[in-house]
This record gives sequence, C-alpha cells and structure tokens, in this order.
Amino acid sequence: MNLILKKDQLTDLLQTWRADYEVYAPQALHNFTHFLPLEDGFELAFNKAHNTRIPPKALFLPTSEALLKFTRFGGYEAVSTQVPPRLIFGIRPCDARAMTMLDAVFEQERYTDPHWKARRDATVVVGLGCHTPCQTGFCTTVGSGPFDRAGLDAILTDLGDLYLVETLTAAGENLFDQLSAAADEQTKRANELQQAAKESMPITFETEGLKEKLDANFVSPYWEEISRSCLGCGVCTFLCPTCFCFDIVDEAQRGERVRNWDTCMFRTYSLEASGHNPRPSRVERTRQRLSHKYTYWVDQIQQIGCTGCGRCVRYCPVGLDIRGMLRKANQLTTEVPHAA
Amino acid sequence: MPHEDHNPYLPIPMHVLHAYYESTDQSLKTLELSFDNPQDARDFFAVFNPGQFCLLSVIGKGESALGVASAAWEGDFVRFTAQKMGSVTTALHALKPGDPIGMRGPLGNGFPLEDWKGKNLVIIGGGCAFSTLYALTKHLHHPANRGDYGKLTVIYGTRTSGLCMYKQDIAAWHQRDDMEVHQAIDVPEQDWLHHVGYVPDVVKEVKPSPVNSVAVVCGPPIMTKFTLPALVELGFTPETIFTSLEKRMKCGVGKCGRCNLGPKYICKDGPVFSLAELNALPADL
Repeated sequence: MNLILKKDQLTDLLQTWRADYEVYAPQALHNFTHFLPLEDGFELAFNKAHNTRIPPKALFLPTSEALLKFTRFGGYEAVSTQVPPRLIFGIRPCDARAMTMLDAVFEQERYTDPHWKARRDATVVVGLGCHTPCQTGFCTTVGSGPFDRAGLDAILTDLGDLYLVETLTAAGENLFDQLSAAADEQTKRANELQQAAKESMPITFETEGLKEKLDANFVSPYWEEISRSCLGCGVCTFLCPTCFCFDIVDEAQRGERVRNWDTCMFRTYSLEASGHNPRPSRVERTRQRLSHKYTYWVDQIQQIGCTGCGRCVRYCPVGLDIRGMLRKANQLTTEVPHAA
Repeated sequence: MPHEDHNPYLPIPMHVLHAYYESTDQSLKTLELSFDNPQDARDFFAVFNPGQFCLLSVIGKGESALGVASAAWEGDFVRFTAQKMGSVTTALHALKPGDPIGMRGPLGNGFPLEDWKGKNLVIIGGGCAFSTLYALTKHLHHPANRGDYGKLTVIYGTRTSGLCMYKQDIAAWHQRDDMEVHQAIDVPEQDWLHHVGYVPDVVKEVKPSPVNSVAVVCGPPIMTKFTLPALVELGFTPETIFTSLEKRMKCGVGKCGRCNLGPKYICKDGPVFSLAELNALPADL
C-alpha cells in the first residue's frame, strides 16, 4: 500500500514509535553516520546519500557479544537472548537485502543461532530508497538496486517535501496505519524516480559467467595480481554487510565465552595448531574473500553474496576496488584445468 | 535432532571418567567422558554416527574439535584421544578423572554406513587420526552390525610402535578371524613383527581388492595425499574412496565461516567426504 508521509511529520512519528520500540536511525557520530538509538532531541543524518559506515548487521551480530557465562562449578550458562521490540528506520536497500542473506547462515534448518534469530524476530525494518545512488555502490550490477524491497517491511521514496511510503508486510502496514493514501500522481512520480535512480547506475562488471571463470581459475596468477597492494587490514570484511565470520574466545576474567567479528583476511583466521595454514598469504586470503562472495554463496543460495553497497571500495586504505578486480576476472577464461 | 530452541553454542555438561596416556611419549591422551544428565546421553546416542566429532570445552581456554573414538554400544560414555598441541589440548591433557568438562556434539556427518552395507571395508589410518576409524571398527565389531558388511581390512601406521593407539584392542584384533589387520611403523624397531614403511607403500603391498569395496582413509595430510592415488591405482573409483578432513574450527555448526572448502563447511557438510566430492571442490586445504 502506498501512503504519504510529510517530512515535517517524521519527527513526531519517530517519537510515537519510541513508545513501543527501541528506534534506530542513522545519526552523525565522529565524522561518520551510524545506526544509533534515538534519544530525546535526536537529529537524523540523511543528508548524505550513502550508507552508514558500519553496516546494520552490527545490530544483529554485535562486534563482540557473550555467548555463554561460566558458572561457579565448571558449568556453562546460555546468555539471555531476550530483545525488546526494535525498529530500524532508514536502512538502505543493499543493507536490508544483506540481512536476508545472513538469515540463510544463522537460521539454518539444523542449527539456528538464537541470538541472531531473537534480534531478527524483534525487529521491524523500514528502508529508505536511494534516489541519488552513491558513487561507490554497484547494487544494480549484483542483482540488488537502489529501491530493492528484499528484507524490508516498508520502503520510503523521497519526493522532496514528503516521502512516499510503500508498506510491504503487515508489520510495515501497522507502523504507518495513521497515514493517508498516496494520490496516483504521487505514486507515479515515485515510480519514475525509482526507475531513474536505477538507470543512473552503470553496470560495473559482468556477472554472467563470472562464477565459472573464478571457479576455473582457483589456481591462477590472477589472485596475486589483484592482491598485490592489499595490506590485509580486513576493513573490507568488517564493514561488509554480508560478511559474518566470527571468532569464539574465552574471556576468563569476565567468566564469559565471547564471539567477536573475525576476518578471512587475517593470517590467524585459518592458522591451525600444527602450524599449517591453508591460506598462508594475502593471495589465498583475497581469493577466499572474493570466491566466497562470487562463487560459494552462489552455490549455497543461488545469489551473489554481495549487495553492492560499496563500503569495501570506499573505505579501503589503499584504494583497492572490488569492481576493478571483477572486471579483471571478466577477462579470465574457463579454459584452464581445475585446481591441481 | 536438536530441537528448535536448542542453543548450538551451549556445551553438554560432562565429567572425566577415565584419563590415560595412549602413547609412550605422552603426546597422546585418551579421555573417556560421562554425561551428567541421562537425557543428554540419550539425545547424543540417538543421533551419533561413527566419524562424527565433538568440540571439547575447557573453561578459560576454549574449544577443540576431536573425533569420537568410541562406538555407541560400548556404554554411556564418549572417548576422545587428544594430541597435545595448543592451549586447549594442553589443558585437556591436565584433566583428571572427576573433572568437569563441556562437550558439544555430535557434529558433522560421520561415515555413510548405510551406503556401505554389503560392501567390504578397507580402513586405512595413520597416527592419531586413527581415532574415528577405531570408533568405526568398534562399531562394525558389534554382532548386530558385523553381518551388514563384508570383509574388513584395517591398515594402521604410526611413526613408532610407541605412538600406536588402542594397543590392547588392536593386539586382540589380530586374533579375530573376521578381519585382517596390518600394522606399520615408519622405521624398523627390534621385535616388531608387522610392516615397516609408510602407509601408502603398505597399501600397495597389501593390495586390498577394489571389488565391491570401499576404502576410508584418515591420516595426516601427507599420508592422505599419497594414499588416495595408491588406491586409485589399485582400481578404487573416486566414489568408493572416503576421507575425513580437518581445518581450524570455532563454532562447529557452519556459522563462524573458517572451515569452508569452497561452498562446503567441513564442520557441517563433512568432515567425511568421498574423493569424488573432493575432486569437485577447490584445493583450499
């Protein structure tokens, strides 16, 4: 259903929601924008048409969280997974799609992650489409888009002094049930805007046949070439909305078993107790990062494991650009033997 | 099967029943663990399959993935043999009978025993990786299971005779008329009555028949690397050769990301793979 939300109503609406939800929205902090809980006198930071620095996956998989507590007599106790009702407002479509992909990891049939699931179940997600797509984004290349509906309960389109609200689920309808319906003219304008935004984004590399090329070139000088300037800092993975790897460590003094974000770009990630490391250099680690997103995810869920948010491009300290890496991969051939 | 609200990170409370050195150099120690809650034992044995592994948990140190070295019929306990390697296995070696310990599992797929019914089994192990093959052999020895399988051949190599695990049982296996046992050590020793040489060479010497047979290989990477082609040379097809893989693991349930081999997770989709399956995966080991 399409509804109209006047921009000068937004603050009041967010205030109303605060009675029922813990509301998170992009706000400025230390030169960047972050999803932070709304406090009295909040100021939204929607002026920049791109993503928060840290993706909203952090609201579901915190950078560090206790999984277990140690009990006095050598036992273990699960940490409570109770979460108050939450509302994320202003999530970008690429990030919302990423959440649906992470569901495939954390809510598998056999083993469901109780922390992830509790947070997902308790959270309503309202998206803000990107009418001026960001420079580093390439969502349309990887099957998403500036107005992708995946993973959203409602999506907003900025029409100047008002938003067109398209509700997508019952939870979304419920949130906006006080608003009046959009006129046909407004819906039409929104559609045009959405179409124009999509068309304004160039296709940055070819995805057709890309997986086959990467698979066939598991052993190839290509990986050395594209990883040469990589510092191995891992920022591309930490800030990636679809990266989910974590480490589990015991914090003995706190009496807790904790999981922390981890990254395949670090040597210790795959280092075994014997000293053997299947991914001893940045070459193998870069191969893992790219292959995970562009071939392994495709095998697993028939979707590229990248939503084109562009964070890895924007924040790489040496300017490595995954789009360039994949354009180069487009030139590989499948006429090489599989991994020897 | 774990029920829906099961927390996959929460260890099962266990106690050490027995702890003893398995090798003369004290690098290998066997722990037999008993369940604190009878229901946990029932849940465990309802799904346990030889070839599966568990994560043993020492408070303050972390968790370590170890293959189960016991068969279900042996009793309400679970056996593991740990090589002293890193901080967790060092802590495991320090455990004494009566000490509490956490365990998560059974994890992974285990051996495809249903598919192997009616076939001859060639079990090839090297070093401490023999533990899950020991569980498999014990499982097959049970009268209720033995009839489902044909000829049983075990080839087990260690660097020295002192590193050979489960010595008493293996000595008794030589006396059984329903199986063939070949033991090997890498270098000659006085009074050693069995093979001397590396496992791949012993396999070539023993020449197990590929007819209606499956081979299962668990050992250090270097042994596996040379044993697989030896089996192919003997006429085993990639579909009839199985091996169990290892990689660094944390969660054990396909979430933390690190044990992937292409799109497969060793913890969740493995650790047992056929050579045919491995040939289709990238060599990221």
